Formats: sequence, C-alpha cells, structure tokens
Amino acid sequence: MPITRRDLLAFAGLAACTSPKAPSVPPVRIEDVLGRAIDAAKNAGATYADARVVRRRDQGVGTREDHVVAVSDDETYGIGVRVLVVTRSEGGATQAWGFAASAGVDETNAAHAAERAVAVARANAGPRKRPILLAPVATYRDHWATPFEVDPFDVPISEKAALLRDIWNDVRTVKGAKYMDGSCRCISEHKTFASSEGSLIEQRVMRVEARFGVTATDDATGDSVSRDHELPPMQAGWEYVTRSSLRKDGRTIAADAVAKLGAPSVTAGKRDIILAPSNLWLVIHESIGHSTELDRALGYEANFAGTSFATPDQIGKLEYAKNDITFYADKTTRGGLATCGYDDDGEKTQKWNLVDKGKLAAFQTTRDQAAWIGEKRSRGCSFAEDYASIPFQRMPNVSLEPGARDVSLEDMIAATDDGILVSGDGSWSIDHQRYNFQFGGQMFYAVKGGKIAGALRDVAYQSNTVDFWHSCDMVGGARHFELHGSLVDGKGEPAQSNPVSHGCPPARFRNINVLDTKRQKA
Amino acid sequence: MSARGFDIGDRLLTLAAKEGADAVVFVHEAESGHVRFAASEITTAGEVSTTDARLMLAFGRRHATAQTNQVDEASLRALVTRTTALAKVAPDDPEYLPPLAPQHYFHNAAAWDDGTRGLAPAVRAAAARVAIGRGDAETLTTAGFVEGHADGLTLATTTGLRAEHRSTWAAMTMTARTKDGTGSGWAGAEATRAKDLDPDALARTAADKAKRSSTPSKLDPGRYTVVLEPAAVADLLGFLLEALDARAADQGRSFFSRAGGRNAVGETLFDPRVTLRSDPLDPATPGRPWDDDGVSLQPTTWIADGKLQNLHHTRFWAQKTGRPPTGDHGTYHLSSPSGDKTSAVELAEGVRRGLLVTRFWYTRWLDPKQLLVTGLTRDGVWLIEDGHVTRPVNNFRFNESPMKMLARLVAMTSSTVRVPAGGSPMRVPSLCCDDFEMASVSDAV
Repeated sequence: MPITRRDLLAFAGLAACTSPKAPSVPPVRIEDVLGRAIDAAKNAGATYADARVVRRRDQGVGTREDHVVAVSDDETYGIGVRVLVVTRSEGGATQAWGFAASAGVDETNAAHAAERAVAVARANAGPRKRPILLAPVATYRDHWATPFEVDPFDVPISEKAALLRDIWNDVRTVKGAKYMDGSCRCISEHKTFASSEGSLIEQRVMRVEARFGVTATDDATGDSVSRDHELPPMQAGWEYVTRSSLRKDGRTIAADAVAKLGAPSVTAGKRDIILAPSNLWLVIHESIGHSTELDRALGYEANFAGTSFATPDQIGKLEYAKNDITFYADKTTRGGLATCGYDDDGEKTQKWNLVDKGKLAAFQTTRDQAAWIGEKRSRGCSFAEDYASIPFQRMPNVSLEPGARDVSLEDMIAATDDGILVSGDGSWSIDHQRYNFQFGGQMFYAVKGGKIAGALRDVAYQSNTVDFWHSCDMVGGARHFELHGSLVDGKGEPAQSNPVSHGCPPARFRNINVLDTKRQKA
Repeated sequence: MSARGFDIGDRLLTLAAKEGADAVVFVHEAESGHVRFAASEITTAGEVSTTDARLMLAFGRRHATAQTNQVDEASLRALVTRTTALAKVAPDDPEYLPPLAPQHYFHNAAAWDDGTRGLAPAVRAAAARVAIGRGDAETLTTAGFVEGHADGLTLATTTGLRAEHRSTWAAMTMTARTKDGTGSGWAGAEATRAKDLDPDALARTAADKAKRSSTPSKLDPGRYTVVLEPAAVADLLGFLLEALDARAADQGRSFFSRAGGRNAVGETLFDPRVTLRSDPLDPATPGRPWDDDGVSLQPTTWIADGKLQNLHHTRFWAQKTGRPPTGDHGTYHLSSPSGDKTSAVELAEGVRRGLLVTRFWYTRWLDPKQLLVTGLTRDGVWLIEDGHVTRPVNNFRFNESPMKMLARLVAMTSSTVRVPAGGSPMRVPSLCCDDFEMASVSDAV
C-alpha cells in the first residue's frame, strides 16, 4: 500500500518523534520530513523509496591509571533516503538503487536528498543481469525500544570515572601490575523509518560497554603482557554495569596479568582445547556468522569482505558441524547488540536456524536478497550504521544452541586429560572464504589429569571451519550459556560498523593445532 | 570550504569565551560520492555531505570534547552547553596541556583538485562500467568500488591558533574472479586527482591476475622468500607504524622497549637500504601539514639507513621526556635510495625459489610485544622458480613481523606507488624479503 503524507500525519503515535535529549535541534515533525522525502522521491521517478531519520549519540570516558584522559560526547543527526528507480526504454526496463543523505532534518533538505538519490540512481541505471525484486513486507506502524532501567546518559561522567579509578586502586595493590586503561561508553540510536509502502516505525536502542585492561611489566627484562576484563558490551542500561562483577574484579584481573607474565610458553602441537564463552563467541562470529551472509556467499562482498565456502546450493547438504550442533540467528533476544523490532527494510525481526543439527540450513537475507534463493520473505537483516549510510545485509545475533545435558566448564576440565583452557578474546583472523582461522585469547591454562595446572602464555590456535566444528565433542548446557559480542563489526564499501552479539556455552574441541607465538621472537 | 569552517569555529570560540574556558574547535566539512559494483553489475551508489564540529573545552585541567553535525546557532550553543557540563564534572587530567599558541603552517595546495571535488555520479558509474565491461569481455565476474572525496578542515583555538587545509582524493579497487571460482585477481589505486586513476589499467591488471591465478597448485606451508606487491607491503607496514609510539616503548609495553626503561631509538633494526619518512609537503604524499593538536608537521624520518631514528611523541610525552613533539602524521613514504628494479616481476628475477604475493587480508596483531602479525594472502599467489613466475599456488596464513620483513630485505623497487589507504597518502615499493613464514594453507580463493 503506497504511503502518503496524510497517512504519515495521521500516525499520531509518532507525532512527537523529536528526541527529548536533543535540545540542539529545533523541534520538527519527523513524520512531515519523512513524508516529504518519500513524496519527493516518488515525484522524481522512484518506484520505491524509504527514509530514515536517525539520531546517534556516543558518549565515553577513558582513563589511564588514576586519571581521566578523555571525555567525549558525539552526536550525529540526519536523514538518509534510499530509492529504487525503474526506467523503461526501447531496450527494456532498467533498475538502479540510489542513496543520498543530509544532516538537515527539515522538509527542504529531505526533498533535496530524495532528488539527489534519484539522480544518483539514474546515473547508474542500466540493463540488469539480476533484477532487483523486493520481497513483500507487511505494513507496520509501530515503535520499539530497548528495555532498560537506568539511562546511562543520566549517569554522571564523574561517577563513571570514579568506577574506573576505584578499580585502579585495587589493581595497583597487585605487585607487578603497572598500568591500566579503562573506559565506559554508552550509545543511543533513535531511528524513525518510513517507506513508500506504508510503514512508519520508530525505534530507540541503547547499548553500553564498560571495560578495563591491565598491563604487567618486568622492568629487568623489558617484557610485558596485558589482560583485559571479559565483560561484554550489551544492549542495556547502566544497571547492566553496576550489577556486573566489574567493580570487584580489579585484583583478579591484575593477578591474572602478573600470572601470565610469569607463565611458561605453551608447547606447540595438536591439543584438546576448552573454550570459554568469552572466547568461543568470536569463533562463532567469524566461522558461522559471516559465512552465512547471503550477499557474501553470492559474491557481493568479493572486493572487500570476501565470499564464503558455504553457498545456497548446499542448503540441507553441507555437513557444517557435528550432527548434534545447531546455530541460530536471532535479532529478538534480549540484550543482543543486533536486537531490534524491525530491520532497516521495515521487516519484523526473527529467529531461525542457520545450521540445523550439523547441516547448513539457511542464510541471512534482506528484502532484495530473498528472491535470490527462492525465499518469499526477508529474514530481516538490513541495517545501516547511521543516517548517512546505505542499508545492506548485516549480521544478526548468531548463537550456538546449548547442549541437551547440563555440562559445565568444570565438567569439561574434569573430563580432559591433557588440554588447554582459553578464556577472553585476543588475536583473531580468518580467510576471505571462511576456511582457515586463527585465534588467541586473554588467559590460557594447562589442563592436566582433569585439573587446572597453571597459566600459560603465547597461545594461539588454528583450524579450518568445518574441521573445527566436527571436532567439537562437548557443548555446555543452557545454564552455562553467555552472551558476548562486539560494538564494531565491519563490512561493506563504504565500510560500516554493526554491533552484534553471540551466545554460547563453553565447548571442547579435540586435536586442534596450537601455536607457540613466542618461538618467532626476533 | 575553509571560510565556513572558520565561521563555525569563531562562533563556537565566542560562546566558549563566555564560559571562561580554553577551547579548541575542529571543523570537518566532507563531501563524498561512491558507486559499488558486484556480480558484474552496479549494486549501490550514494552521495553524502556532512559538516562536523568538534569542541574541546577545558576548565583548568578538567576537559571534555563533544561533537555535532548540526551547525545552526541553536545547535552550536547546545554543543557548548553540553561540553561545558561534561568538562566541569570531569576529574582533573594531569596530562592536560593548554592549546598551542599560533603556529606557522605551510599551505599545501598540492593536496586539492577542483575536478575531484565535483566528481559527478556519471563519472563514477563510467569507471565501474569499464571494470564490468572488461570482466564481461573476459568471462570474469567483477566486483569493486569507486569513490571520490573532498574534505575541508579548520582548527581554531582560544589561544589564537588557526589552521586550515583542503584535500581531495579518489580511489578505485576491483576484484575479478573466474567463473569456476578457482582464480581471483585484485587491483587498486588512490590519487589526489581522480583523473590520475586509470580504470581500464586497473581492470586489465585484476583480470590478468584472475586468469593467471586460476586452478592453483597445492604448496606446503613453510618459510619462503617472498616478493610482496605494494598493497601487501603497506598492510604489514601499517602495524609497524602503530608500534612507533614513544610512550609505549619508554614504559616497557612495546617491541621497541628495552630493559631499564630505555627504548630502541638509535639501533639498526632494519636493512641499511630502508628509509621511512613522513612529509606532508612532499608532492608524492600531499597531506595535511598540521595535526589535530595544531602541531606543525615537519618532515620526519622514522628509519634512516636501517636505523630507528624517531618514535611518535605526543605533546604530553614530548614535554615529559624533553623532546619535541613529532605530531600525528598521516602520510608515510617507505623507500630505498638504491635499487634498479622497477616492478615486482623484476624483483622475482633474482629469486631462486619463492612466492609472489598480490595482497594480504585480515591482518591482525598476533603479539604486539613481539611485533608479530597474522594474516592471509589473497587474490593471487604464484611460485617463483629460478627467477620466473611459474604457476599459481594456494593461499597461505602467515605469522610474521613487519620488522623482520624490513630486516631480511633482499631488494626493493626504486619506484614507489600510492596505495589505497583511506585518503592518507602512503607510498611504498614492492619488496623482496627472505624467510617469510607461511604458517598454514588456506583453501580460500
């Protein structure tokens, strides 16, 4: 159903879509601005148009040991207009996408952006090898918001700085722990979407991160190591930080750093490894999350992020992992950094299996991708990082389903005769088709005879995706499931950042190639 | 662009003066346009113009920075209010230094090109179509990106410092893949002037590499003599640049740390033919002649004749250690005063057995303290036998150090090229080095 300005104005629930935290901009009726953009795009010849007004605020405080070194508060606000233009000529119909953005959120700038977007599309119009087909989507008029208790922007900078200073006061009591860097960050995203098909959706997303890292040094040798706390960023309010153990963990993390500095290097070779959720999430991200992006699988990221070993013709056939392992995509889970009510195509967010009992089951799609693999509906994975960015397929939260039995990390250690326990994320790298990967970590422990036998250092493990997930012989139970993630996952040209979470319990992997990174010392 | 930037800066400084604060205003006006193509057709395209104003306010040693892209009067007032509120509750920063007094800066007109600022969507689309057409003609699948940028930067402070700079840049990168998925080739270039890009030459290079890299032979991991093309050299060099930090070195946290709180400046760590410099006024690397702190960026030699000459000193660390600040450079030029080779293929002529590498991918620190980096080869690796590039081989994961790359140098090309680096000019040669560790095989193509 085509949308009109009158329809938009009638949507009273969004009549006051101005941010209460935005005194910097005179009040404007967002629905008027969006309606003007859609109208202008259609008048200029667009067959489809959508527009997003997005305010993004990113506030942070950074510390070094006992003092603050940075306080920042950055805000962007603007409108992005995306259009699809179909031109008919003697040679047949041609299609092209166009996009333009403006920091001026008023009707004049909205119309101008829409007209520029159409002009850009016309400049790129040409015969299509693969027609652009938008999967049908219901018309939504809704709003969605992150559930939280304490707005992190209401927490004074001085309180956040005091939290980090108090942690340093504990860290400094540990002999050998010499430096600490800390930061608290909160990011809000207020987005209102409208499309020429009639949807009007307002969403408010809040994300927080609090972290610190400790460096231990040996002045006599010039040696040093660092150890980061493992509290992941989360879609939540400040209560997430205050209820965590972060404030109490200064001495523990400092002691870890000192223990790692004095630990022996690992002995390289084939080893059994137990990965804590704080380490395993990143393997899931790289080897499952990115491999099952449909645009990547079909060559649309070939010039930058790469392609994928997993392709749609292998759905239901590719034995991706052992037959008791399932990975699911989920943009609905509470706390997930990629969670929202609707994606940037205006599609409702969903949960579905990507790998089902070991076999490739599905891909991540947007409206213009669903038809590529014969699907009738988008999986709702469209995302643009801000008003000035073009929406495209981005990763939902992708997680490992817990095992049926209540297996804990301690159970895995007890069941391991000779292995290595890895926690926290460190170095990470994977090839451009998602075969060969190599990861480090924060802390490494030798496991001997079912018990922890001391810290190790200089550890990295390397494997290939399918081999690795077939080597998994223990998956923890639901009680040991943790959500980790990153605020910054890059993809696309121009590069955009996507926040995303990955949940998993601990898991064990047999006979994995472990490297001693120190043997390469100059 | 600069006049508007200074106007915004002056309005903010006037407001800040009423608060009695030290203030620094940085205004960035940016215009950009791009077209992306993949699966052998244009996919997305866009144009964006932005103006960002960043304000630092300091009350004594309490300071905060806030930024907005709304530059109307009410928004600028709100920015001052917001920044003031943050700064007044921020704890003292003992490392805070007041804004610099007025400095002398050189004007760098060589960094700007009118034609690149006004690059039309149709021009970008035409470049993409050249690439797609080349792929279609040679039965290859193409993907790539064409972009043009114009940036205006101004800096103004309550101490009277004023700086301005305008720059343009354009870049094109593309990948061609064989239809059977066994070959992939890449080419890319960046220039201050869009007309210096040659889409047809890039397309021919990518297509040629795709065809010559198809159906690679299996080759075991191990230590190889490698000939690295400029994109690969620049990727590894970036990690070395990140490590050239004086504070980390002096505090024992860096590869360049030495026992007793010393650092490695003065040590010959690299091959004597290696020189690494930053000079924004060098026509080969036209850049901004001042940094965000207002430090005038003087020609700086980091490595000369293989010896580490300098580490990056911020204003604070320079003051603390009694050295001049180097400023935060954005241009780099790795070169050799000697050498008669002009291409990677000529470098290969001197190799008995080794590998020719197009570029790297997903490079990450493996151990920063050891300057150890991991990553993978991509878009064309060939075996070199008795001076000849003989056949394509599989990709590898490497675990290697940029320091070792420059220490085990066999030869560098005498010429350098500007590689795609996001608009910060970086010129590097192709180079050949021994004993490069390819740690494991990658099945990716």
